Amino acid sequence: MLKEEFFKGISRAIVDLDEVKAIEYAKKAIKENMNLLDIVEKGFADGIRKVGELWEEGEFFLPELMRGAQIMQSCLDLLMPHLQSYSEKISQGTVVIATIEGDIHSIGKTLVATMLRAYGYEVFDLGADVPIEKIVEEAIEKNADIIGISALLTTTMTGQKKVIELLNAKNLANKFKVIFGGAPVTNTWVKECNADGFAENAIGAVRLVKSLLDK
Amino acid sequence: MLFQDWLKDDSKIVLFDGGFGTELIKRGLESGKIPDLLNIEQPYIISEIHKSYYDAGSDMCQTNTFGSTPLNLSRYNLENRIELIIEDALKNIKKVCPSGCLIVGDIGPTGEFRPPVGNASSDQWYSSFSTQTKLLEKEVDLWHIETISDLAEMLAAIKAVRDISKKPLIASITYKKTKRGFFTIMGDSLKKCIETLNNENIDVIGANCTLGSKDMLELLGIAKDFTDKPISIKPNAGQPIIKDNKTYYEQPVEDFANDIRKMIEIGAKIVGGCCGTSPKTIMTIRKIIDSI
Repeated sequence: MLKEEFFKGISRAIVDLDEVKAIEYAKKAIKENMNLLDIVEKGFADGIRKVGELWEEGEFFLPELMRGAQIMQSCLDLLMPHLQSYSEKISQGTVVIATIEGDIHSIGKTLVATMLRAYGYEVFDLGADVPIEKIVEEAIEKNADIIGISALLTTTMTGQKKVIELLNAKNLANKFKVIFGGAPVTNTWVKECNADGFAENAIGAVRLVKSLLDK
Repeated sequence: MLFQDWLKDDSKIVLFDGGFGTELIKRGLESGKIPDLLNIEQPYIISEIHKSYYDAGSDMCQTNTFGSTPLNLSRYNLENRIELIIEDALKNIKKVCPSGCLIVGDIGPTGEFRPPVGNASSDQWYSSFSTQTKLLEKEVDLWHIETISDLAEMLAAIKAVRDISKKPLIASITYKKTKRGFFTIMGDSLKKCIETLNNENIDVIGANCTLGSKDMLELLGIAKDFTDKPISIKPNAGQPIIKDNKTYYEQPVEDFANDIRKMIEIGAKIVGGCCGTSPKTIMTIRKIIDSI
């Protein structure tokens, strides 16, 4: 099989949400000692990007997006041990992510974490209802580049601002980029809090993280 | 039964209540607190909000039990208090419900999704809705299952209610607008949802939350061709913005009410508001209904 066709096959398996086939491709690539960097970038990453596009177009919905990211993740789990240099290469960023204290909504945050992992970032998902101090402590401990804070309620959004206030108080404002997510978050809110950005959906979050880390 | 009479009376437009959470925020609801717990902790505030809607002209208001299912309450470690929460919710609304008006048992989503998004099963949903329904049944006049974003969860809720209660039932799904039309976030189209609900033992098909009044008007224009059942509509007052750590909905009441007028003209039977609407919104709609 031509290399290009092999890449296309991987991409299609992800778009078709065909886990069995996607894993077969990953195993074959490892067994035949192929260039795994190309396999991930031209095959799997292409597939997940297309899944994201289909979601933005309204062709795919939450279950397809989540499933696509999960399949991508299980394939990456297989490939990573064989690809130390790649792992170093793509792990250009570490993200600590949490839903803010008082807010138990975790779907959006989990989806963002899954998509970021699928794109090769190292993600520490602290869960939901996480105290402000804990988020900052974990970001320091994990040496994060990005702190992602989700709030789905207008009553809990104020916690997002408090994370930034705590970072300022600890003189850590320049150490981390802080990004927001959640249905009520707007650009005005991001500016008011002096945060580094927000995304309206999981695909937007990946783009945002990439653009912040490429700076 | 009053509600059934309203449904049969072609000249009657039923006025529902407006947003509850946003009214609580105005009164200083603490960050992250589940509104249902306030039935016990601050009952007078809950009664005051219900009363403000009845006073504004609502024909019926819903109990403050949106999140009162064992599945949802367990996320706040409150599942053991469900009986007291619902008992007090009923007391809070009963004491202010005027004669001639109705009490609607409010059933919201469990907050748990089915795989691959979450881990919930239909049996878990059914059992959770069942517990809530049993506790509300004796005191409510009718039901509103609302803000459901998964048709499968809606069907579990309908079955749970119908296995216990013969009272009228409104089933409202929440939709998002995509490039291909209106869908639930789980991917069920408006058409599929309504056609599925047509075959269920329910009295009214509804849509609420997520969409503002403009989009909801468009949705209604499409939905009415898919069903002969009466339709209930509760849109949001546009999208929220935050200023000085407070939430505002900027859509002027008159704009919202004007869209509601158009919805009534094209066939909405029950109208009201969701997030961001207030007693003032309901009062404005009351005037419109009375002038028709």
